[in-house]
Amino acid sequence: MRSMIDWIGAGVAIAVLASVPLLAGSNYLVVVLTVALCNAMWAASWDFMSGLTGRENFGHALFIGAGAYTAGFLNTALDLNPWWGLPSSAIVAVLFSLVIGIPTLRLRGPYFALAMLSGATVMQSLTIIFSEYTGGQDGLNGIFPILDSQTAYYYLTLAIAVATVASLKFIALSPWGTILRAIRGDEATCQAAGINVSFYKITALMISAAFAGLGGALYAHALLQVGPDLFAVILSINTIILVYIGGMGTIYGPAGAALLFSLLIEKLRFLSEYRLWVYTLILIFILFFLPKGLVAPAWVWLRERLSGRRRKRAEDAVA
Amino acid sequence: MSALIEVKGLTKRFGGLTAVKDVGFALAPGEITGILGPNGAGKTTLFNLLTGFIPADSGSIIFDGEPIRGLKPFRIVNRGLARTFQLTRPFIGMSVLENVVVGCLAPRVRRDGPTEGRARHMLVRVGLGAKADLAVDVLSYGDLRRLEIARALVTRPKLLLLDEPFAGLGTSEIEPLAALIRELHDSEGLTILIIEHRLREFMQLVGRVIAMDFGEIIAIGPPQEIVRHPRVVEAYIGRTEGARGVA
Amino acid sequence: MAQILVYGAVISAIYAMLAVGFTLIFGVARILNLAHGAFYALGAYGVYVLTAYGHLPLLAAAVVSVLFVAGFGAAMERVLVRPLRRSTLAVLMITLAVSLMVEQVLLLIFGSEARNVPSMVDATVAIAGVDISGQRVIALTGGIVILSGLWLFMQKTRLGAAILAVSQDAEGAQYMGIPSDRIFSIVMALSAGIAAAAGVLVAPFQTVIPGMGLLPLVKAFAIVIVGGLGSIPGSILGALLLGYTETIVAFNISIEWAQIVSVAAVLITLILRPAGFFGKRAAF
Repeated sequence: MRSMIDWIGAGVAIAVLASVPLLAGSNYLVVVLTVALCNAMWAASWDFMSGLTGRENFGHALFIGAGAYTAGFLNTALDLNPWWGLPSSAIVAVLFSLVIGIPTLRLRGPYFALAMLSGATVMQSLTIIFSEYTGGQDGLNGIFPILDSQTAYYYLTLAIAVATVASLKFIALSPWGTILRAIRGDEATCQAAGINVSFYKITALMISAAFAGLGGALYAHALLQVGPDLFAVILSINTIILVYIGGMGTIYGPAGAALLFSLLIEKLRFLSEYRLWVYTLILIFILFFLPKGLVAPAWVWLRERLSGRRRKRAEDAVA
Repeated sequence: MSALIEVKGLTKRFGGLTAVKDVGFALAPGEITGILGPNGAGKTTLFNLLTGFIPADSGSIIFDGEPIRGLKPFRIVNRGLARTFQLTRPFIGMSVLENVVVGCLAPRVRRDGPTEGRARHMLVRVGLGAKADLAVDVLSYGDLRRLEIARALVTRPKLLLLDEPFAGLGTSEIEPLAALIRELHDSEGLTILIIEHRLREFMQLVGRVIAMDFGEIIAIGPPQEIVRHPRVVEAYIGRTEGARGVA
Repeated sequence: MAQILVYGAVISAIYAMLAVGFTLIFGVARILNLAHGAFYALGAYGVYVLTAYGHLPLLAAAVVSVLFVAGFGAAMERVLVRPLRRSTLAVLMITLAVSLMVEQVLLLIFGSEARNVPSMVDATVAIAGVDISGQRVIALTGGIVILSGLWLFMQKTRLGAAILAVSQDAEGAQYMGIPSDRIFSIVMALSAGIAAAAGVLVAPFQTVIPGMGLLPLVKAFAIVIVGGLGSIPGSILGALLLGYTETIVAFNISIEWAQIVSVAAVLITLILRPAGFFGKRAAF
């Protein structure tokens, strides 16, 4: 399934991303891209769970916020070295996924989606209520950066994001991924094939949560502050829209969509007020006309054209 | 010879309706047995009880010497009891081959060897070898039934439950499917339990028939006897499609 | 104590209107309408625009606003929802998109500051020794009148019977000559209209901002889940339960905790008893 062209494409994308700090004039673009990479991790992790199994999770922000606040907490309240935030955020996010996932994964589609949404909303309200610990609406400020240089931190984030997308894609292409896609097909038939469906659903949610939380921690250490908005419905919806645009189930599509859109929104800064308009219109458009998304199908099309040409050249060389 | 599966006093109620009432029977290894009964007799509910998809209210199910009542469906499959569904719901969005590969990933058979090879081999056996790489949405009804059987077989069952495998098929498709089932039984020594509510289809296949009506077993015996059994005839004549059903 | 009884009743009436509309469109057309909150907001803004700019008298503005939103709801169902009906999640996403759009449009046109809608009655009334604004009393009575009217409509008219038939079996109703598709549009119009009416009734004493529909939507959803999706009596019962619980919590603990009540109620119900109290369709 993975052809040479896929590897080359990935390599080119990484190379382009890696060269940004060297070409960009200011630090500003670097920070924007760092945040974009966090978005890419959130989108890819959502896609891994919901894109593959078809169990759409409308409360992904729960894991993002959990990871971000954990990182912030360890740093500001407990004064720990910021590096600790990274693994801890993933672990805490996984714990959250167990608490909410175990009782809710047996629910049917829309009910699971909305139960997860409720979970995230409850967490958001709790964060505001217990403001002595969480800083309430203002959140936690003065988080220490992990690395002093914006550029170095960007490379760290890039490395982690690439590792995330690669690992998730690797699992998706493995027999594990086949099982997840079968769960999407029909859960009863899966049971009849001898597969422990509950186990695979909960572990998929755990993996999704871990990487979302990790992305949240990276976000916290990039912007040096966290707030209850990180649990907000709009963040979950944002992530889902990016996955719809990227191409559900492809992992790299949503990551690519996250990067492209963050850049697009930056370039079209005058539209930033209308950002939600843009997203919504695109969502409607995709629901009706492009159910497979934009980014992944575009790459597949490109790959077909390139492989056609390469094959022809190979044939010519042999002939 | 000890029974492969022994069922005693199995009962299931849905609200006020008793769907399965005090059902008991035993199957010896290598038998092909049929469950016969008009619509609503409780046949599919019985299957769902045996395979763990529905919890029973009371009774016992001993499979291969071990009690299996209350186990989750996938655990029962991994003990060697596989089933097909009457309304096949394949994994859409995946190829025919991948549909079978999922079965190869069950813990019971996971280490048996490379999954793709095993899956292809099984597809050839059920007659779908040429269609292995097609998307599953293009398969005909009859082919979907074969796919179901392939998926169930690949988990190396000792007992195979077939839920109305001939339903909705035309005569030209029934013959080959019946031949396939017969061949699988003969070559593998598979124990098979088939539900059908149309007699003609499985008269030649089964060695013994369990007749059900209103959730109860009304008779057990060789097919020729059961067809003439007064209560069985009454169960069918008493229904609107009865006269057509009796051979 | 009396305060809680009276104020709780007002809140419950409003919640009941929202919940009944939400459960109605689900019970009949299996549509989980995330734009329901937007209908509520549009009702409030409609009355604002018609009185502030259109200079219409309050009552006329209320009626026109409700009718407009009802039409909007029917149009949304016809144009955006019906083509996607095969996938419940696609319907969720498209109604979500509509609600986001509506909020953005309102934000664009009116900005984020709260708007003032005049009360229908300025007087303060005393009920059971409790001082309460006339508008709140109107909201309570309006809610009761509208819901009673709906009940009568469903029980006594042919159209109401047709709606009940479609809610039980859309295909079967079609065979009996009932145009299911048209019924869906009518029910959506009803549902939107009732939500808009709720918005109209509360506009004078609630904060009218573009995002005012989000929390009511969550609460309507909470009530409907607790009361049982598709069950109107369940929604009314759930509304009373939620309305009074919120009021009690708000009076005794704090307003912030009161807001969580509804969301927590959804979670707990989904976990313990997914069908709710009277639900016809279980959540699994």
